[in-house]
Amino acid sequence: MFSLNNNVELRRVTISSLITCIYLPSIITVISYKGLLYSVGNASSCYVLFLIFVAELMKSFYLNSNNDLQNKRKTSKTTPSDIAKATIFLIAAMFSFFIGIILFGAPVLEYHEETLMLSTVLTLLTLFPLIAHTGVESAVQLLFGVRSFSRDTIIAMLVNNALLTVCGAWLGAVVIPLDWNTPWQKWPIPCYLGAIGGYLISNVLTVTKVTMMSEAAKYPIFKLGINIINRLHISK
Amino acid sequence: MKEKWNFILYLVWFSYLLLSAVLMFGQGFLLSRKTLSDVSECVYLNNFGCDGLENSTLSSKCSEDEKIQKILSLPSSPLICSPKRNRVAFILVDALRYDFTEYDENKEKPLFYHNQLPIIQKIVKKWPKRSRIFRFMADPPTTTLQRLKALITGSLPTFIDMSSNFAAIEIQEDNIIDQVVSSGSKAILLGDDTWARLLPGRWARSHSMYSFHTWDLDTVDSEVDSKIYDEIKKGDWDLLIAHYLGVDHAGHRYGPNHPEMARKLTETNKRLEKLIEMLPSDVILYVAGDHGMTETVVHEGIEGDHGGESKAERTAALFAYYSSGFSGDDSDRMSGREIQQTDLAPTISAALGRPPPAPSLGNLLLPLLPNIPVTHALLHLTNNLKQVTQYLIRYGEESQQVPLERLANLINATRNQIEKAADVKNDMELRAYVDDVRELMGNLRGVFREVWVEFDSLSMLRALLLLLLAIFFNWLIIEGIPFERISNVFSSSFVPSVLVAFGVCVGICYSTYYFQVIDDLGHAIVLTTGLVSGALTCMLVIMHWDGITQRWYEGRSLFYERFGRSALFASAIVLVSNSYIIEEGATLSFLTLTILGLMAWNIGTMKALLLWAGFGAVMALTRTYRGCREEQGECWTSGEGMSAGSATRAALVLALGSVSGVVATARRHLGWRGYGIVIAGIFTCAHWAVGWGSLGSPSRSKMLARGAWLVIVTMFVILWKRDGRGTLLPLVVTGLLFYLANALVLGAAYAPTAGLALLSGFLALNIVSMLKSEGMAKFSLATRCSSSMACLWALLASYHFYGTGHHATLGHVRWTAVFHAGDPNYLSIGHIVSVVLMFIYLFGMPLMFGATVPLLGLWGRAGSVGPRTQLAAVFTLCLKFQLCFAIRIFACALSATIHCRHLMVWGVFTPKLLFEFGSCIAALIGSLIGATLTAWHIPCQTRNS
Repeated sequence: MFSLNNNVELRRVTISSLITCIYLPSIITVISYKGLLYSVGNASSCYVLFLIFVAELMKSFYLNSNNDLQNKRKTSKTTPSDIAKATIFLIAAMFSFFIGIILFGAPVLEYHEETLMLSTVLTLLTLFPLIAHTGVESAVQLLFGVRSFSRDTIIAMLVNNALLTVCGAWLGAVVIPLDWNTPWQKWPIPCYLGAIGGYLISNVLTVTKVTMMSEAAKYPIFKLGINIINRLHISK
Repeated sequence: MKEKWNFILYLVWFSYLLLSAVLMFGQGFLLSRKTLSDVSECVYLNNFGCDGLENSTLSSKCSEDEKIQKILSLPSSPLICSPKRNRVAFILVDALRYDFTEYDENKEKPLFYHNQLPIIQKIVKKWPKRSRIFRFMADPPTTTLQRLKALITGSLPTFIDMSSNFAAIEIQEDNIIDQVVSSGSKAILLGDDTWARLLPGRWARSHSMYSFHTWDLDTVDSEVDSKIYDEIKKGDWDLLIAHYLGVDHAGHRYGPNHPEMARKLTETNKRLEKLIEMLPSDVILYVAGDHGMTETVVHEGIEGDHGGESKAERTAALFAYYSSGFSGDDSDRMSGREIQQTDLAPTISAALGRPPPAPSLGNLLLPLLPNIPVTHALLHLTNNLKQVTQYLIRYGEESQQVPLERLANLINATRNQIEKAADVKNDMELRAYVDDVRELMGNLRGVFREVWVEFDSLSMLRALLLLLLAIFFNWLIIEGIPFERISNVFSSSFVPSVLVAFGVCVGICYSTYYFQVIDDLGHAIVLTTGLVSGALTCMLVIMHWDGITQRWYEGRSLFYERFGRSALFASAIVLVSNSYIIEEGATLSFLTLTILGLMAWNIGTMKALLLWAGFGAVMALTRTYRGCREEQGECWTSGEGMSAGSATRAALVLALGSVSGVVATARRHLGWRGYGIVIAGIFTCAHWAVGWGSLGSPSRSKMLARGAWLVIVTMFVILWKRDGRGTLLPLVVTGLLFYLANALVLGAAYAPTAGLALLSGFLALNIVSMLKSEGMAKFSLATRCSSSMACLWALLASYHFYGTGHHATLGHVRWTAVFHAGDPNYLSIGHIVSVVLMFIYLFGMPLMFGATVPLLGLWGRAGSVGPRTQLAAVFTLCLKFQLCFAIRIFACALSATIHCRHLMVWGVFTPKLLFEFGSCIAALIGSLIGATLTAWHIPCQTRNS
């Protein structure tokens, strides 16, 4: 059904998505049990970002290391200069997120800490996995649509994750104007949680899709579901 | 090019459908009432002689009773001040529902609000003569502002109480406070600051507090508590008003059935106990709720609200206590009797020894007044009747709302009652007389209630239906019929046949009206023309059904196009929620930015991204100018809601810089028309610079403003000169002229916002013109007139209403714009001039964006297609733009209908409807100007056909 390479890649996609589906909800559950869920906008909640950072790094190691086993020739060792370049790029991306969020309506002169936390989490969930997987140059090419990618690959998964994360943060803003006066309507909690929710949903969709693909031969009804999910995803 | 003028006619037709339907809706929805500035006056009894005549020459002595008897026998005598006066303490416990005051120890499973006010029943049992507890029936709308007005004027307030001063919240009618103050007595206010804004400057002492934080249960109450006991001890007042908000706020936040409600009610109980204990003997205490609240319905999520007309919301409680005892016997004091809220105003003024307020329609309640002899009671009753008769006569003179025959009947009936008063001698007769008067006043209230309180739901529904018809079929036509066919459709006999059908409709309506088959000519014409247009457009859709289905089957629009449409729908649908209306500025900028961002993403070049970022920065800059409304809380209380009257130095520099920048940049690209723009710009700048500060010369500044207007109008006229150089330049010049007009009316303080709006439009145009069409690199007009463009432009136009510092509240409107070029009322056409200036001031942005709609299709590389296609594209865009506003106004009307008894309908939804209607008119006019200009300037010879 799938070529060997495709199959292996699919397995990696599935496993990394599954890991995400487990670790993100656990982080959220733990902090909400500790009563810290509504302080995600403060700098004191940096440990959440750090946890996400570590988890994403592990995931990308997993994705890349298998890559190395497959074709050792192609991949070169990551040099310190690469890391420096990636760091600079990520910081630049973070600031463009920061400015973008302010343009979209975040307070200009106040709440910089909160906005910065949101932009950091957006960078961590969207660009960081992409760069860790492909490197800075290809990430830029992917972003501007210069390089194309095919469906059901790791890159497609990462790009779709990034898009749904941004969509989630965008949708999170919907509840802010409502006059319910709940503690979770405070800036930037809805957007922050929306971003995490979008990322999670994207991963759940990936897992569902792969599961349905493996069973599609037996139950043809699943093909419909796959088509729907394919519609949601973009591919070039 | 036969279709050229057909396009314009079609746009005019659509605008007519829209406006007529919305006007019809407004007629049914906007209950209005004429306020009269009359004031009741009374004459002191000492001024009467024993023959019952005022300033009588008779100098014999007689007793008071005899004198009153004499006066009563003369029905034409004026109102008489009551000889006996009391002091009144009026405690308003917001949202005190009647069943909060009931007490039943044996109640099984009492809810949180049960049995929390035992003091009331205890007092009523202990001193039945000294106390009363009644059901206090409120009239809808049961919102606090309207209720307060009703309580102190005794009238039935509507949303628009039309008076000379339309915008101010201050009461323009006679009321009990004014009566008290005019007689030289003192009134004290404690609590809610709505009172202070309704009646500024009347209070001897006022301890009022900001009251819009409905989540704050205690601040206002504890503030009142800290002052009220001292005030009562002072005793130098005649009327004390204390307004407690805690119960209402607890109801809004938690619903009646909640421990917090129990806490607030217990607090109220303690307060009442203490008050009754320390009450001086000559003070009458009235404790009332202005409205009730809905029950907690858990599964529907409705709780503790008010504003509607359900029984629970209308039934408030009234508790009265007077240590020397009230008049009336057992049947009068029956607990739980229903009395109307309008009755309180005449009763309180009688207790204070004043005549009823002039607009009052209430009936005097003797059981709530101290024990008085028959003659005095009759005096009060005839006072009340005389005042009502006077009001009926005056209202009949000023307004035609109530048919004249009915008014005449009512006036005769009240006069008869006044004459009968002289025959009443003892208690038995008085009782019968009081019953007669009550019945008469009930009828009278009924007549006015019909006009002022009840919506005309039939015409509202008809209007909604017509709107829906127009929107639906026009949407089908413009979204369905393939672009290539549009020119052919409109060069056919379709539009002329529509005109003929219209003529026939109007003719039939007029003749039936002439033969008196129908009563209401206006409604009939609107209804028939609306239905006929629906049928005709439906025919068009059926004839082109093949094309429509084919286009929908084949067409797969891009993501940004679908998103643009959904964003517009979303912006319309959220108008159902009051929080989104309050924050609409932010919502609109958010959506606009997203649509444009998706477009830039679709283009995918660095230049597009930078343009988008620039656009975002411009929108962020307009944020500093955005207004602030009361409901937004923080910014209101910190005083930002007050608009600065005059510009600061920095604002002046910004204004001059923005205008000169725009003029200097635009001049070079406009050819000879640039000179006109430059001159108008110079005049504008000079107007601000000369008029600025204390050194400025206002008269010269006004002259300069007039000069600027002269140049703008002349330029606008010259625009219609054909020069055969295409349509682009005239359109750009129109945009700039509207920009200058906006800057002029906005004044120096807000002029930069007009520049920012122009800049944001310019950036958006540049992004739009970079869009590629799907699959082909060739420039295609079909992409350029997709509905997402129109949606983007409509959202941008709506946003800049907020971006230029306006808000959809009536209190927020500044009227200075009318006078910046001198007082237009000295002109013979001054009325029109001031209306036009005000219109441009408020809705200049939709006007400007409407006039530049054709640029969406023509900006950039439009020269590559034939004029016929260009014209079709412009028409499509204009109609789509108009449709966007039609959808928004439909959503507004729908939300006003849904919420017509909502708490915030008069504060939020109705003003939004009014302002959206204004924007809609401006957008329609603007796009008509744009389309006509394009049709006028488009080259006539067809090159490629």
